[in-house]
Amino acid sequence: MKKFKLTIIASLVLIASLSANTPLTGTQIIEKTYNRASADDQTAMLTMTLTNKNGQTRVRKIQQFSKDMGNKEKSIMFFLSPADVKNTSFMNWTYDSDKSDDQWIYLPALKKVKRISSDSKSDYFMGSDFTFDDLGDRKINADVHTLLREESLNDKECYVIESKSKDEDYMYSKTITWIDKETFIGMKKEFYDEDEELLKILEVKKVEKFSDIYIITHSEMKNVQKDHSTTITLNNVNINTGISEDKFTERMMTRGI
Amino acid sequence: MKFTPIKIKVTILLAIFLLSQFAMAQGIDISGFARTYEGVNVNNGDFSIVQQTLNLNFEKRGNKVTLKANPMAYLYNQDSLSLGLREIYMDMYFKNFDLRLGKQQIVWGKADGVFITDIVSPLNLSEFLLPDFDEIRTGIISAKLDYYIGNSTIEAIWIPQFAPTTRPDANSIWYIEPEFPVSPTFDWSKNTIDPSLENSEVFLKWSAMTSKLDFELMGGYTWDDNPSMHVQKQFGMNNTTTPPTPMLIGLTITPQHHRLAVAGGSFGTEILGVILRGEGAYYNGKYFQTEDPSAEDALIQKDYLNYVVGLDFNIGGVILSTQFIQRYILDYDEFMSEDEFQNTATFVARYNTLRETLHLELFSYIGLSNKDALIRPKISYDFDDSFSLLLGANIFVGDCDGQFGQYQNNTMIYTKIKYSF
Repeated sequence: MKKFKLTIIASLVLIASLSANTPLTGTQIIEKTYNRASADDQTAMLTMTLTNKNGQTRVRKIQQFSKDMGNKEKSIMFFLSPADVKNTSFMNWTYDSDKSDDQWIYLPALKKVKRISSDSKSDYFMGSDFTFDDLGDRKINADVHTLLREESLNDKECYVIESKSKDEDYMYSKTITWIDKETFIGMKKEFYDEDEELLKILEVKKVEKFSDIYIITHSEMKNVQKDHSTTITLNNVNINTGISEDKFTERMMTRGI
Repeated sequence: MKFTPIKIKVTILLAIFLLSQFAMAQGIDISGFARTYEGVNVNNGDFSIVQQTLNLNFEKRGNKVTLKANPMAYLYNQDSLSLGLREIYMDMYFKNFDLRLGKQQIVWGKADGVFITDIVSPLNLSEFLLPDFDEIRTGIISAKLDYYIGNSTIEAIWIPQFAPTTRPDANSIWYIEPEFPVSPTFDWSKNTIDPSLENSEVFLKWSAMTSKLDFELMGGYTWDDNPSMHVQKQFGMNNTTTPPTPMLIGLTITPQHHRLAVAGGSFGTEILGVILRGEGAYYNGKYFQTEDPSAEDALIQKDYLNYVVGLDFNIGGVILSTQFIQRYILDYDEFMSEDEFQNTATFVARYNTLRETLHLELFSYIGLSNKDALIRPKISYDFDDSFSLLLGANIFVGDCDGQFGQYQNNTMIYTKIKYSF
């Protein structure tokens, strides 16, 4: 689901043309979510806390930068902790077209920037409960979207959308998303495994407004089958500061922040 | 007051400790690791290695200047302490270029575990190819200039003083004693290169990272990191035969480094979810050993090609990588000691599970020409974000004349416990 970006972008457009009298289809609602306004660029400090079933936690801190360049979006992450990944950086270029993402990783121990395959979107990110696909963009036409119902969630009126992958081998048989009718932000999402059993639940805990743009600053993904979870919080969020395109280069990957 | 080597080393360690305290007070970022590494030879039960390591990184970052120092201490067995500075340099940042001055590790190329265009920093092969790749490279005192044009970079390196590959000591289990028909005499007088402008090394690289392709084109005027063995034979007369015949009565071997000119490049791209990598270089003017009786000093000068192609891909969560490497000596002479072609392959399978706390890996070098291999399975577990335990093996198999099979008596199992901070 494009723009359901828990790491960075969760913005709002009030769709004036949206008529209350015209029922929207599931695909149209997802498109509204996909097309809502977002910042031209953004920086944030991301803290990811992994909690196991015994309540023990591991914390990862990442400084993020992203920039929308029209037909593509570039982002770069600098890993600050834990110690064994410190100074590692990861860069991603996402395209509006069907072109696959370009991804590189800089490993300070190897002192080398390596291109890596973006084909592993089902892999979990840094041992968290988020896959790369959960964190990034998923093409709208990769799934069939159906409006199941409309209901209230935490005092917000929501569309409830079921999305089934067109790829039978995809790791999720379906997802169900609660989308705020007012902001078109996904507030909750259920992920079902290949046996159609509930696997994970994503809940948005906090949304903040920055210059008329809404950004999710606290969310939690819980694996209900294995009873572990990951929370992501964003701090020091800044948008539209005019980040230079030079930020998203090999020079910055190796230099760090 | 007499300072023994032990006292000197303890003093240096104390100085490092005090420096750490000072650094923290100055807002200098300190990170690193402590590691214990023990290996046992499976053939005879002897310890192959008993090593304790302290690796520190001091870093003071600024918008214009960054300073970095990487001292490390290796304690072997009970009291054999080795101290060094892997890196110590200063970065200066300008609008379109960066300058790095000092001792630094420089890594080029797209290949993994093989060194084709990656020839700027010399290697420390005192433990063969077993150390981690950040530890196998030696820092080199140099000036490195990176000039940036969009997504491309022009990098120029000047190395004022040549540093060769570090070889195993004669008492090391990794030392292979060469065989000679008579006991040789070594003349080491020409084994070092005097530091001078004329003797310095220069490298140039143009690289770019684009959405379709990453590439590097490089050239270097360098010294061969491995000395050529100039062999001079002394003959006498064998009077036990009738008539008397000449016989070899002595050998004088003079190790000497020679200039090499190198040009090459590398690339990486993604095709249908598979990363395709390639790297190659043309080496001009290397001296090879020859048995040609007419050859001067038993050496012959030839050019050679060294290249690699590799694939990285992912199947069912298992990260896989394989490479084919070939060295080809041009204008080959049948008297040469080395083969015209030397083919090697590498294979890596890596799997992370339990939320990336349990890591399984199999890395292998496969000597296709000599039918030998180094197989390196390992399993590691992260008890937390700082503390990890690794169990592994280094298995040498195959032809005892091959670069891996020659160490078949050194097959070992080992453990590493590491604390990162």
